[in-house]
Amino acid sequence: MEQPFSLTSEVRENRLIITTSGYVNNVGGEAIAAEFARHFEQGTRHIVINLGQSRVVNSVGMSFLIEIIERLQDAGGKLVFTDLDPAVEKMLSIMGLFQYAGKEKTVGDALLSFHEAGKPGP
Amino acid sequence: MNERTDVDTRKRLPDGQIEALEKAFRTLSAAPTLMDQATRLRDVLGGYFPGDTVSLYRRTGMEWESLGVRVDGTVPHLPSADGDAATVSALEGGKVSIVQKLADRSQIGVVLVRGGRGTPYAETDLVTLRLFLTLFDNAFRELVARRNEKELIFSLNHRVLQLNSLIDTGIEVSKLSGSAPPHHLALERAASLTNASSGVLRVSRGGRTEEEGWFPHGGAPEGAGSRGGGISTAFDFGGETYKFQLFDKESRSGIIPFDETDQLLLDALSRQVHASLENLYLHQEALEKQKIEQDIAVAASIQQRILPKTLPGIDGYDIAGVNIPSKSVGGDYYDCIPLPDGRFAMVIADVAGKGVPAALLVSSFHAYLTAYLEAALPLVDLAVRLNRVIARASTEDKFITAFFALLTPSSGALETVSAGHNPVFLRHTDGTLRELSLGGIPLGMLDMDFPYQSESLTLGKGERLLLYTDGIPEATDGRQRLYEADFPLKEFVSRHVPVRAETFIHELIADVKKFTGPAPQNDDITALYLLKH
Repeated sequence: MEQPFSLTSEVRENRLIITTSGYVNNVGGEAIAAEFARHFEQGTRHIVINLGQSRVVNSVGMSFLIEIIERLQDAGGKLVFTDLDPAVEKMLSIMGLFQYAGKEKTVGDALLSFHEAGKPGP
Repeated sequence: MNERTDVDTRKRLPDGQIEALEKAFRTLSAAPTLMDQATRLRDVLGGYFPGDTVSLYRRTGMEWESLGVRVDGTVPHLPSADGDAATVSALEGGKVSIVQKLADRSQIGVVLVRGGRGTPYAETDLVTLRLFLTLFDNAFRELVARRNEKELIFSLNHRVLQLNSLIDTGIEVSKLSGSAPPHHLALERAASLTNASSGVLRVSRGGRTEEEGWFPHGGAPEGAGSRGGGISTAFDFGGETYKFQLFDKESRSGIIPFDETDQLLLDALSRQVHASLENLYLHQEALEKQKIEQDIAVAASIQQRILPKTLPGIDGYDIAGVNIPSKSVGGDYYDCIPLPDGRFAMVIADVAGKGVPAALLVSSFHAYLTAYLEAALPLVDLAVRLNRVIARASTEDKFITAFFALLTPSSGALETVSAGHNPVFLRHTDGTLRELSLGGIPLGMLDMDFPYQSESLTLGKGERLLLYTDGIPEATDGRQRLYEADFPLKEFVSRHVPVRAETFIHELIADVKKFTGPAPQNDDITALYLLKH
């Protein structure tokens, strides 16, 4: 059964990596958005969200993720999701998140995708 | 006192102002939020009225609130907008205000204060100001339309997600080898699809909770259900009640009540779990049945090895037998075993019950019987010992009826013992019958050295002996009538005297089958027939 929400974050090469665990709901979405905003204000524009330990996401949680994507889009940045459980991947796909955000198997792949896209960190 | 000024917007605009307005509209329209739009409007007005102070206010209820830089620390008194058009008012101290009603029924107010010692605002300035506010209103309408469109798309996508998830969950919970119990998966999905903060599944029997699982994991969250109530559904299966409860529906604006769709989703997921549990039960039942059938097949194979493939030839006699089990494994037994001293032991037996337990008992009976025959025990002692070992090898409701006959072929001497078995028919050459039934209780009925009696006789030329189990006289037709009632076996034995023993067996079985017709055989049919040439 899914655990209550928690997250950790780290910055690698000016890329923010947020790793979540548990139910991404209102509480989870707010926590992700707050962590994102803290780094966004400092200029970070490339974000990786590792949802490997989050198998359940509700639509309120997703609305926060969409806001992050929109803010990054406006600022010329990019969000990549990684380590997606198949059910979560399908949810995000149906909700249209992958039209504007990327997905990779691992955090390493996501960081590499930023390099390949020719978008070094600001 | 505020002096209100009506502005005629139909007056011609100065050259180049149209372009400035177009640019302003593009700037305002690109703003993603109202706050951003307000900031941009302030910048646009600041650019158009350089040196002036621009303050923005918004009114959603009764009070005006600041949206940015203010003239001073207080919110000025602003008039309400009349109709859809912007209302421009001259304020004290060379200030001017303009109020515009917006698409969401809120109002935006702008206060301009000339910087330095500038001239008062001209009428054209007021016209321009009014135009900018109209542009702002239009840009805000676009913003609201875009937001509504996004919300609609999000809502539609969410509906698609709910339906898709409902289907996927149905498939997943119906997987019989799934890693997670179906009810836990359904609770997870129900909580996420309805935006519930938490949920619980309780399985109870007779009012006592046997299993309780919370989502998210970790027990009941503090105050679960106290903020926004909850919804629930339940079903009964296997004497247990499965109850799903969801608590506190989340939204971006806080906890809101669950709606009908949420209840429908929870009910649907609950029904899927119910169906899955029923399918799992039926699947396990089918597996058990399959295993039993496999066990029966093995037991049948053992049984077939116990029953004789052929009977021994006896000089001066003809012997034939038959065994037709009613199930895959029967509880009947027969044999004719040659003994070292030249005699033959004819045996027929019937275990109470059928199936694997009966077959196992027959197997034990066969093993003990052959051992005791090799030991050349007197027939009555053999019966006593068999009674004892069968009593110890079987359950209380299991026993064996049996008939033993020791034949000395050369003399025709026959010693018989019946262990509670059907009487054996001896047919004399004149057609009369003698019933042989002396002996004792069925084998295994009592765990004690119960004495058995034997009887001795001599078979004459042309005399015949029929040993049989009750599957023949008690064979029934489609209307549950007994074969014995319409066609007494004694009469058949008396009337049928074919030359060969095998022919008698064939005719007897054919007669029974003719009587029963297509009715299912409800007991084993076994017979052993001996005739003396």
